[in-house]
Amino acid sequence: MQEIFNFLRREVYFKINRWTLSTLLIGVFISLPIFIVLLNLTDSTENWEHLKDNTIGIYLKSTFILVFGTSVLTIIFGVSTAWMVTNYDFPGSRFFNWALILPMSIPTYIAAYSYFDVLEYLTPMLIWIRDNFGQDQMSLFNEIFVYFTIIVVLSSVLYPYVYLLTRASFLNQGTQFIDAARTLGCKQRLIFWKVGFPLARPAIFSGVSLVIMETLNDYGAVKHFGIPTLTSGIFRTWMGMNDITSALRLSSYLVIFIVMVLLLEKWLRQGARFDDKSGFKIESDKQKIQTAQYLIPFICCIIPLSLGFLIPVIRLSTWGYENIKVAFNVTFLKIIINSMGLALFSSLLVGFIAIILVFSERYFKSTILRLTNRFASFGYSLPGAVIAIAMLLLVGHFTKFTGWILTGSIGILIFAYLIRFLAVAKQPIDSGVEKYCDQINETSRSIGSTAYQSLISLNLPLLKNTIVAAALFVFVDTLKELPLTLILRPFNFETLATYTFDLAVQAQIPESSLPALFIILVATLPVIWLNRQMEYNKT
Amino acid sequence: MAFKTNNGIFIKLLFIVLCKPLFSDINVYSHRHYESDKILFKKFTEETGIKINVIKGSADQLIQRLVSEGANSPADILLTVDAGRLERAKSAGILQPIKSEKLTKNIPNEMRDEEGYWFGLTVRSRVIIYSPDRVNIDELSTYEELINPKWKGRIVARSSNNIYNQSLLASLIIANGRENALSWAKGVRKNMARSPRGSDRDQIRAVASGLADVAIANTYYLGILANSSKKADREVATKVSVFFPNQKGRGSHINVSGGGVTASSQNKDKAIQFLEFLSNSESQEIFGKVNHEYPVRIENNKSGLLRSWGRFKADKVSLSLLGKENSEAVKLFDLAGWE
Repeated sequence: MQEIFNFLRREVYFKINRWTLSTLLIGVFISLPIFIVLLNLTDSTENWEHLKDNTIGIYLKSTFILVFGTSVLTIIFGVSTAWMVTNYDFPGSRFFNWALILPMSIPTYIAAYSYFDVLEYLTPMLIWIRDNFGQDQMSLFNEIFVYFTIIVVLSSVLYPYVYLLTRASFLNQGTQFIDAARTLGCKQRLIFWKVGFPLARPAIFSGVSLVIMETLNDYGAVKHFGIPTLTSGIFRTWMGMNDITSALRLSSYLVIFIVMVLLLEKWLRQGARFDDKSGFKIESDKQKIQTAQYLIPFICCIIPLSLGFLIPVIRLSTWGYENIKVAFNVTFLKIIINSMGLALFSSLLVGFIAIILVFSERYFKSTILRLTNRFASFGYSLPGAVIAIAMLLLVGHFTKFTGWILTGSIGILIFAYLIRFLAVAKQPIDSGVEKYCDQINETSRSIGSTAYQSLISLNLPLLKNTIVAAALFVFVDTLKELPLTLILRPFNFETLATYTFDLAVQAQIPESSLPALFIILVATLPVIWLNRQMEYNKT
Repeated sequence: MAFKTNNGIFIKLLFIVLCKPLFSDINVYSHRHYESDKILFKKFTEETGIKINVIKGSADQLIQRLVSEGANSPADILLTVDAGRLERAKSAGILQPIKSEKLTKNIPNEMRDEEGYWFGLTVRSRVIIYSPDRVNIDELSTYEELINPKWKGRIVARSSNNIYNQSLLASLIIANGRENALSWAKGVRKNMARSPRGSDRDQIRAVASGLADVAIANTYYLGILANSSKKADREVATKVSVFFPNQKGRGSHINVSGGGVTASSQNKDKAIQFLEFLSNSESQEIFGKVNHEYPVRIENNKSGLLRSWGRFKADKVSLSLLGKENSEAVKLFDLAGWE
């Protein structure tokens, strides 16, 4: 009892000020739609009973297959490439080092569109199977082909999450241990399994948990390939049964699924922090390998890069070139401006809010704020469509109450982006503050500086690069975002993403390639810049 | 505290800037994303000087949006495909009943809501597309017959997420009862060559490629393929034929794409004028020629391609009824395991 009282006294009495209060308010405000989703956890309708008995099992099963397959394949792609570029010197290794991130610039739905006809090429094989082995085998193989294709498509654009984090971990922590192992005569293959992999484990899990969230968020690709995942189930319940309540309840199951993934990640990472904080880094010599063995690392790297970037971009470019006369016009330029403006404004806003939230939480060491900020960043784990439905409900209540129409305004759209992408900006800034600013802040506090002074003259300059990187991530994510924009955008307002989708839905996939290419192009620039920055920081 | 009195004014100004509604022209929420509509909207503006603002989106998102915007919605017209959705919009209270002699004259009774909440503007028929090389036309008769084991591994159809399939099953529920409709869905699913995937066009392609022998699809998709700029698509269209099922009984399943005036419309007269424009014979012809849909008066059909498929008897079941059975149909698909 006394402890609780002390805790409250510490938290509430000593920590109430402008910073903490506004942070609390912002955090709660951003969490509202998430609460709306969670509130629907127990609302039961007749449709829900039906869902529970007949379809949730199917949704869970295909979601599980998809998530499992994508996780395994992204680990294979991401870890093998990271190991190759950090440990071996082979022709193209410097190129692969940064090029392997490029697939990150391709949204899952565009990746799926660029491979839209792959399954058609398999038709003759299916017919052959039917003629030789029978109908049931053909159905089975068809199912396997579909899952295999979508898992490969998703993995080939999502593996960079694993690659980036694992590479960083190999570079930052592994080299000394690897050198030591080598000196002690450990065989190269064993070094990976005995030293590299275990050390990179936390990084791999972090990467995979991001991959899982992206997989769960995807609607465009699963729709295209006809996979009944939880996310498509939400759309089906919402649209087919016209039952928002059950759709939101299904969403809350998705939320639980996601929380489990996050907890699992945390648990697996438990105590496993292999950061070398000594600041003592030796640039280790890369292993020289014989010419005859160049092929192995080269193939390891070229496969994911081709699948996730080269092939989609080449196909889209060919289609784009064929359609350039039809597709490139004033409307298209207007759409580019819309998209860029929207992404720019959102990234600035999200970056700004993220700084405020992180700073107050860390500066005042508030447990309550840590909780509300956690909630506020949860939007990133929710599929865009779920956030959009929750926003519609919320805004509906607001409209009834005040008479102001908010749907279809840019303001609501940007607010929805804030909910969805806050975590994208918050995470790097949070680790930045932890790494560079926490101790300095404590010192500056003890010599009597105000919070404002610490933020402006210490934290912002120290975090400059981190903040720019965070805003860039948000910029790219906003540019790629589809379902949320589709639902909440204003009149006559198209972004590159909605334009691509509209054309693709009309089965004009080749015509949709120009806006798709543009998204990829714009998304590529920050990816390259970011990599330069990381290289720069390393030296 | 930091809040000052002028913050209130600032916030209000911000709302005005951010939420500026468009009240002068007609605002259309449309699910239809066809070239024909672009042409018609432009033509309407040229003839009347009334500008049209369009928001495209999936019907359900638009309906949800109208519901949450309530009486303050800037929309004047909701255009969507499938009577199921129009009926859903009506029961959600976002449409208003209108009276127009032109509309009642141009549009037959069964193609519109009897109270005037919504009006069908084009007709599409969901038929059997078959490969004349591998299917003898005598083998085909009704939708119901597709569960015959002789079709095992020979049928393709798209996902049951699609409202065209939902309405087809709704029509079977009305015609044959729930139990029979369920066994139909189970039977067809069992006979499918592959799990449902892709659009109606993809089903037609699957028949052309030899993966399956019959597909359930809407006729205008075949029209789009036949008039495609791509050679491969035109080839697909030459390899398949249209069969109108249930001609000896209730007729082939049809549905409409249509629209209604929203309950919140600030420009009711202009909105009605717009619907009347879409229902006049010239517009109806454009729907047929550009998008290969049937006019609401099917017999007035002037498109050569549509005529080449032959005349057919359409199921006269009230389309509002189909809308009411929609969510039951979704559940039956779930039970039948038709993804």
